[in-house]
Amino acid sequence: MTEFLQALILGLLIGGVYALLAAGLTLIFGVMNVINIAHGAFLILAAFITWSLWRATGVDPLAAIVVLTPVMFAFGWLLYNATIRPIRKAPPAASVLLTFGIALLLEGIMGAVWGNTSHSVRPSYFTQSFQIGEIFLPKAQVFGGLVAIVVLISLYLVLTRSWLGRAIRASAVNPQGAELVGVNVASVAALTFAIGVASAGAGGAIASVLYPFLPGSHYQWIARLLGIIVLGGMGSLPGAVIGALCLGVAELMTVTYIGPEWATGVPYLFVFIVLLLRPQGLLGTRLRQDVATA
Amino acid sequence: MTDAGGQAAVGGTLAGGGASPSRERSLRSPWTLVIAAAVAIVALFPVFSDDLYYQNLIILSMVFAVGAVGLNVITGYAGYISLGQGAFIGLGAYTVGICVGDIGGSPWVWVPVAGLLSSLVAALLGVVAMRARGHSFVIMTIAFLFLMQLLATNWDSLTNGTGGITLPIPTWSVEYQYWPFYYSLMGLLAVSLIGSWWIRRNKFGMGLIAIREDEDKAATVGVSTPTYKILAFAASAVFVGMAGGVYGYYISFIDPLGMFNILLSVQIVLSLLLGGRATLWGPVLGAFIIEWLNETTNNELGGGNTRLVIFGGLLVAVVMFLPRGIIPTIDGWLERRRTRGKAGLAGERLSGIDLHAREAPPAKELAPDAPALLEVKGLERTFGGVRAVDGASFTVPEGSITALIGPNGSGKTTIFNLVGGTMAPQQGEVWFDGQRIDGKPPWKRAHLGLGRTFQITRLFREMTVLENVVAPLRDFHLGLLGAGAVSGPEASRAEELLEFVGMRKYRDVRAAELSYGQMKLVELAQILMLDPKLIMLDEPAGGINPTLIERIGEMIRELNAGGKTFLIVEHNMPFVLGLCNPVLVLARGQAIARGTPEEIQRDPKVLDAYLGEDFRLEEPVRT
Repeated sequence: MTEFLQALILGLLIGGVYALLAAGLTLIFGVMNVINIAHGAFLILAAFITWSLWRATGVDPLAAIVVLTPVMFAFGWLLYNATIRPIRKAPPAASVLLTFGIALLLEGIMGAVWGNTSHSVRPSYFTQSFQIGEIFLPKAQVFGGLVAIVVLISLYLVLTRSWLGRAIRASAVNPQGAELVGVNVASVAALTFAIGVASAGAGGAIASVLYPFLPGSHYQWIARLLGIIVLGGMGSLPGAVIGALCLGVAELMTVTYIGPEWATGVPYLFVFIVLLLRPQGLLGTRLRQDVATA
Repeated sequence: MTDAGGQAAVGGTLAGGGASPSRERSLRSPWTLVIAAAVAIVALFPVFSDDLYYQNLIILSMVFAVGAVGLNVITGYAGYISLGQGAFIGLGAYTVGICVGDIGGSPWVWVPVAGLLSSLVAALLGVVAMRARGHSFVIMTIAFLFLMQLLATNWDSLTNGTGGITLPIPTWSVEYQYWPFYYSLMGLLAVSLIGSWWIRRNKFGMGLIAIREDEDKAATVGVSTPTYKILAFAASAVFVGMAGGVYGYYISFIDPLGMFNILLSVQIVLSLLLGGRATLWGPVLGAFIIEWLNETTNNELGGGNTRLVIFGGLLVAVVMFLPRGIIPTIDGWLERRRTRGKAGLAGERLSGIDLHAREAPPAKELAPDAPALLEVKGLERTFGGVRAVDGASFTVPEGSITALIGPNGSGKTTIFNLVGGTMAPQQGEVWFDGQRIDGKPPWKRAHLGLGRTFQITRLFREMTVLENVVAPLRDFHLGLLGAGAVSGPEASRAEELLEFVGMRKYRDVRAAELSYGQMKLVELAQILMLDPKLIMLDEPAGGINPTLIERIGEMIRELNAGGKTFLIVEHNMPFVLGLCNPVLVLARGQAIARGTPEEIQRDPKVLDAYLGEDFRLEEPVRT
């Protein structure tokens, strides 16, 4: 029972971090119909920058978020305008291949800069735990999960309470309509992409404490995040949160009861089961396709 | 192109069945010589040179070429991008490695088994992909690749985990160098290319291209999309699996990281994109270029991170600057040079003679006791909280031109989708010609004799007008897949139909180049190819000029006189009231009235719900 509770709580905490990372991915998909395969590479990039900051100044990795979010926001905005914007009218498959190419590029560059060895960020509290009864909760996990939830809530507030948030949601639901009422959909798309990358920046800083990473880790991360948004329903923000919590718990349960070497398989299983049983995901909707012009 | 040129080309190019006749035709002239020379050089190379570096380079290029030719079937023809194609190389290699280790025998014996197993697994992926479109499909292929890698890593008892499997050293004399690998791969590449060519020139390829262009539409014109997709996946993997088996034997060591490396997939995808999708030789050209680049990078630039940067950068560059690939780009350039200064057909207007060539037959009086061809009972469909169709019931009498009118949002198009099978009802029944059809997929309904057009006209844009018209299938059985894409009788029937709608001149024009009204006419000819009993038209008069509206009215009467039943959704009241009888009125998802045009115009419920109190029909159009 203790074992189960421990796995459940840790799963939910990790799930909170996943939720933040998946939120950016699903947001980008919802607004632009772009699957950002480079999302995993963005978060590993953020993790490496966090590592360098921590090594150079000793700054707490969770505090590094304050620096990383704007830096990654600017990086995302520039990248969108340089690469994705010119192919906005191309078939959707083009953007998948493009972002995949960006992921490979980043992987190679990170390998050249930081090397292809495993890195991890270890703040002073890295080895400490909170103890509640018989349950041990590593401090890094607790702090990471809480910070992720705070960032996620601020993202949610931006999306629901600000003019930009309304413009983003309008562009997602009906780009032509949004254009007609004065929203510059292309600029909104650039900002959305930047926000998505910024959230990967925040999530990457947190993830740098939780898991060791190397440039090639981005495959595992993108597989995880894609599993989450497929489960939750692509483009749905609440779906991403639910999917992330499910995956966090399912991974921890797999580690506890089946074996850690199988944990990476959980998101793949999610993908296959969802596509077979409910292709639109938990909270996704099936749209009328006949009125969507080619 | 000139009309005469188009005529002359039909026999060869359209029967050749590609998406783009121009590409097929130009393959003859400038490319034939280049291809023949390249094939001869590759075939004779080991005989004249004992340079093992180049033998190795060509062997690896051929492995990736087989992979890219296979990928072309699902990506180039059917439009499904896969990032998991490399997994079939690994699957093939592991099959051979495991079978040799556990059962014994020569690796060559197991190569066909590797092909079989790969195509079986691919068919299973096809089953999952039956419901996964576009993006979810890409995600599934990534998940598939990583899942295979995970299995190979963790299933120690079968795969020896990360330790890998070592294959026996070849037994033939050193004198023969890599020849057995070289020529077996060359054979596999040849068979793959023949397969790709065969698919493309037959109904199979035509159906796949229809799926690529518009999958839902393909289903409504009788293409059994899941069968096509599953077979395409199986076909795309069979030779790749065999090539993977040979590859595993060749490099003699198999491990999860090497065999299920996503970079193998990247190399295959890049080969296809760079060479040119949906072309026969593009994937081969691409594979040789990319493998040469790969080896050069590894040997001269240290591989590793540099290779990642080069592959990633190249992928970005190809998508942004060379999206069509080398061969189509060169072809397009040659085509432009050849046709420079010649007038195009697109944009011509229908001539006056076309419009009044035929006397429309007088309107047929409908027998009052005509049996119902289509009967809809208590149909319901909601979208979230919106009840689009809310218990609609009505019948369409055989031989009638029935109108379905009602305000926007009253559920007309949804009813079309439910009857046509693009969407499933939550409640209710649909009966057609004495059969209950609401559980049947769209293509079965098309085979039974149900044809429909779409409110926003949907044609297969990259196909020519003639190909669009012959794409519909009135029946389906596996043997049909091997039938020529455009048979003689089909072509002449299609020409008749195009003549009927006045679009024969545009036969060889790409559908995407037509105007909206022209597309409507072609779409009508397209569904007539199904020889349907019931023709459902969604706003046939929407967005086109008055002369064309008259012409469409005429055609509907003529077809009706020939025995076709119509169900028409339309907002143009003079058109509807002058043409149709009976008229059904839909409001809030229910049929609220039915009667002759005269009765409908006086019905207070209809005036209230749709036409408005002050409705006066100024002058009914009598075509």
